[in-house]
Amino acid sequence: MNTIVTITVVTATENAADRAIENAFLKIEDIEKKVNFHSPASDIALINKSAGIAEVKVSPDTITLLDNALFVSEKTQGAFDITIGPVTRLYNFFTQQKPEDLTLNNTLPLVNYRDVLIDKNNSTAYLRNRGMLIDPGGIAKGYAADRAVEILRQQGIVSGIVAIAGDIRAFGMKPDGKPWKVGIRNPRAKGTEDDIMATTELTNAAISTSGDYERFFISNGKRYHHILSPKTGRPADRCRSVTVIAPEGYLADSFSTGIFILGPEKGIKLLETLGYHGVIVDSEGKIHMTPDLRGKIEFQRNS
Amino acid sequence: MNFREILKVTTFADRILFSVLTLLSLLCLIFIRSLIPASDSVEIAVDGKLEYVLSLTEEKTVAVQGLHGTTFVEIRDHRVRVTESPCQNKLCIQQGWVVHGIIACLPNKVVITIGKTGEKGSAPDAVTE
Repeated sequence: MNTIVTITVVTATENAADRAIENAFLKIEDIEKKVNFHSPASDIALINKSAGIAEVKVSPDTITLLDNALFVSEKTQGAFDITIGPVTRLYNFFTQQKPEDLTLNNTLPLVNYRDVLIDKNNSTAYLRNRGMLIDPGGIAKGYAADRAVEILRQQGIVSGIVAIAGDIRAFGMKPDGKPWKVGIRNPRAKGTEDDIMATTELTNAAISTSGDYERFFISNGKRYHHILSPKTGRPADRCRSVTVIAPEGYLADSFSTGIFILGPEKGIKLLETLGYHGVIVDSEGKIHMTPDLRGKIEFQRNS
Repeated sequence: MNFREILKVTTFADRILFSVLTLLSLLCLIFIRSLIPASDSVEIAVDGKLEYVLSLTEEKTVAVQGLHGTTFVEIRDHRVRVTESPCQNKLCIQQGWVVHGIIACLPNKVVITIGKTGEKGSAPDAVTE
């Protein structure tokens, strides 16, 4: 996934911790291999190559990931959509490349999560139209964190935290009996001093943030970042960052992306309906959050 | 106005009020002190950047490089003081020994926080970004 993964666990002996962590890392690597958008041998690449041609048999992990992604697409009314792949490919945030309107308009009809067909019993997946591409980037890290936590728990670990880049899943308490403490990145940090906007406590839950500062370039005063709206194919511009706290990693990861596209008002409402928590920094820097988070989040003075 | 004249011009109620106010302000002093959590950390920041995290239990003198020169900070017997500073008015030195609170040398941009709460200042276990 080309990202930093850290795993911390609480055990009686260092040996037990090392073994558990090793197995959790193996699981993350395994998922990475299956769902990597760029690797030609991955399950996702196979499904993409066979788009409009044939259904493909893939691993149960891949099917579960796709099934989870479709669930989130439904809940966000298509704001989160893993079939965004053909649009993603039109941007390059390193060479500052963005598509012309015409190219974009020709590509947008390929984006529709309803054209992803999965068969859980036979473990097969099929994309209805040629040219469709699944890009699982908005859910894979959260999903991998879930599976890693599952592996840790199976080995008797009662407390730990798995962070795949900014997608974090925590369980149990720290040795001092307190929940894990997680910092939320300030989307417009000027330096290391104001890098963290707020901190909150987390246990038996996951937290993820989607921000317009992760991969972006600025052209003619406009910020082009990697969170693209499936409806317009352009970067969503209602938020600077969206942080979601949900029971599972895949939910936090994908809803933070989907809500970034929906915008702050609809986003907060959706989180409340689902019973999740969230903090949104809108395009003007104003902070919105779910009411139940008040008092549970500590904002830093200098940010 | 001496004390006898004050007694003459004040009523009994005035005196009660005065005593109550005095007592209240003393209580506030005690209360505020207890609000600053007692911990034994000594944090020294230069120009807003945390440079040293020390303990009140160690006996040492630190040479802190500020913007205009070296500020010498001494920790001894669970107290902290500034012994030398390149600044003009030497307010930081005049502050003397501090058990908990803040010593700041603004010209040299050196801020020493004594007994900062370990809970709020501690680094998070992970950062979501």
